[in-house]
Amino acid sequence: MILQQLINGIVIGSVYALIAMGATLVYGILKVLDIANAGAYAIGAYAGLFLYQATGSLPVAFLGAVLFTGLFGVLVQRVLYVPLLDKPPLVPLICSIGLFIFIQDLIRLLAGPHIRAFEAQLPFRGIELPYLSVNAIWIAIMATTAVLLVFLWYMLNRTKLGLAWKSTAQDLEIAKAMGVNVDRVVAFNFLLGYGFAAAAGIMIGMLYNSVFPTMGDMPAYKMLAIIVLGGLGNPLGTVVAGLLIGVVETLVAGYVGFFLPRDAIAFVVLIVILLVRPQGLLGQRT
Amino acid sequence: MRLISGRMRKVLKLEHVDAFYDRSQALDDVSIEVREGEFVTILGANGAGKTTIMKCIMGLLPPRNGRILFGGEDLTGRPAWVRTEMGMGYVPEGRRVFPDLTVEENLRMGGYNLKDHRALRRNLEWAYELFPRLKERRKQLARTMSGGEQQMLAIARALMIEPRLLLIDEISTGLMPILVNHSFNVIKDLHQRGITILLVEQNANKALKVADRGYVLEIGRITLQGTSRELRDNEEVVKAYLGS
Repeated sequence: MILQQLINGIVIGSVYALIAMGATLVYGILKVLDIANAGAYAIGAYAGLFLYQATGSLPVAFLGAVLFTGLFGVLVQRVLYVPLLDKPPLVPLICSIGLFIFIQDLIRLLAGPHIRAFEAQLPFRGIELPYLSVNAIWIAIMATTAVLLVFLWYMLNRTKLGLAWKSTAQDLEIAKAMGVNVDRVVAFNFLLGYGFAAAAGIMIGMLYNSVFPTMGDMPAYKMLAIIVLGGLGNPLGTVVAGLLIGVVETLVAGYVGFFLPRDAIAFVVLIVILLVRPQGLLGQRT
Repeated sequence: MRLISGRMRKVLKLEHVDAFYDRSQALDDVSIEVREGEFVTILGANGAGKTTIMKCIMGLLPPRNGRILFGGEDLTGRPAWVRTEMGMGYVPEGRRVFPDLTVEENLRMGGYNLKDHRALRRNLEWAYELFPRLKERRKQLARTMSGGEQQMLAIARALMIEPRLLLIDEISTGLMPILVNHSFNVIKDLHQRGITILLVEQNANKALKVADRGYVLEIGRITLQGTSRELRDNEEVVKAYLGS
């Protein structure tokens, strides 16, 4: 039983990490809390569902939706964030919340307010053991998340682009002066950040077999808890925090029971940890 | 000392540059030039606009009026990141090394625009030869180093592109006196190796000892210019910047 719960927790937690990664990447470079990233999560889920219905191919739907949402992110950055960057940080934050609400209502207008089923046929079966069952969608989620996070790790730590990303995050002005085309780094950052959110949206849509306009609400709040917990703008911290919250949530809900709704547990964890480590799990004191 | 030929080519030229931060004017009709092989300094007190000049040259603050020419090419309005490719090395005020990158990663960032891998390797070796201390610490995060070491790193980072012009914004601020002397010796040595240098500096005494020529900047305007000797002998300069 404990193993089963642990696996549940890891599946949920890895998706949390993916949801929050987009916002972490954006915060890392622009120091803007990008709430609208949770809108990208819903856009990705819808795009994935429609593409899947149109093509019948899950890989095509997945990659197509990720790419579409990523490009939407690049557009958002060019049109909305870049012009607002020299304003006080509250301005892009409010803009981001506005964009999030706009996205939800746009989806409602275009696709209707009802919940749509996302029944995906996977080409392999789950694992059924006497005391442990891992269904196919979970396996797909864990594998996809692992691939995406390893890709991100490799990109950040082993490539020249990653070095440029880190420099830009640490000192944008000096990175520019050293010859980094910062506009391009920021655009790529949004491509990845929104693409990751889309991937998470598709997988959660499949997992719960439902896609609906306000599906980004819960991630929007939880994402905040995770990126703060991970030490604002720290990609590794985000993975650790996402997994931690996923596992704690599942274990607490499954074993202890809790007087608050399940989704509140993330914030209890957040409060407790911030009392002990105000800079987050892997954040640095500045 | 490297021989300077009679026909010295202009490396950098600022023509009537005005710069603003929002509505407040920081530079007013600034014209300066630096020729190949020269060591030029711009002297000025805090808030005179020294860092602003550097930011304009580097493209970090676009001037409102005037032109910036580098090697005869007009750079006004072009993005900051084309500068290193053209041969401008920049040592910013307060060092500004990337704190969470290692020493070697910082140096690699200095050579970010080098297309040639061998040139990167070679310049890395050169930087380590100039500053053996950096080689010892190459795997260390820049934030863990002392102020003096960070200053050396900032200079080495700017040298990674074998710059045609080295721009240095305040070499002496925030360093202990002994390190200030050391830093000035380092840039004097770089100049003797043939590197063209533009240094903006508050420490007029030290700057005029190493530079060939200087400008005096007061509240955004160039008020005086001349050879280092002329400036050292100028009464106003002595009174305002050198102490008596």
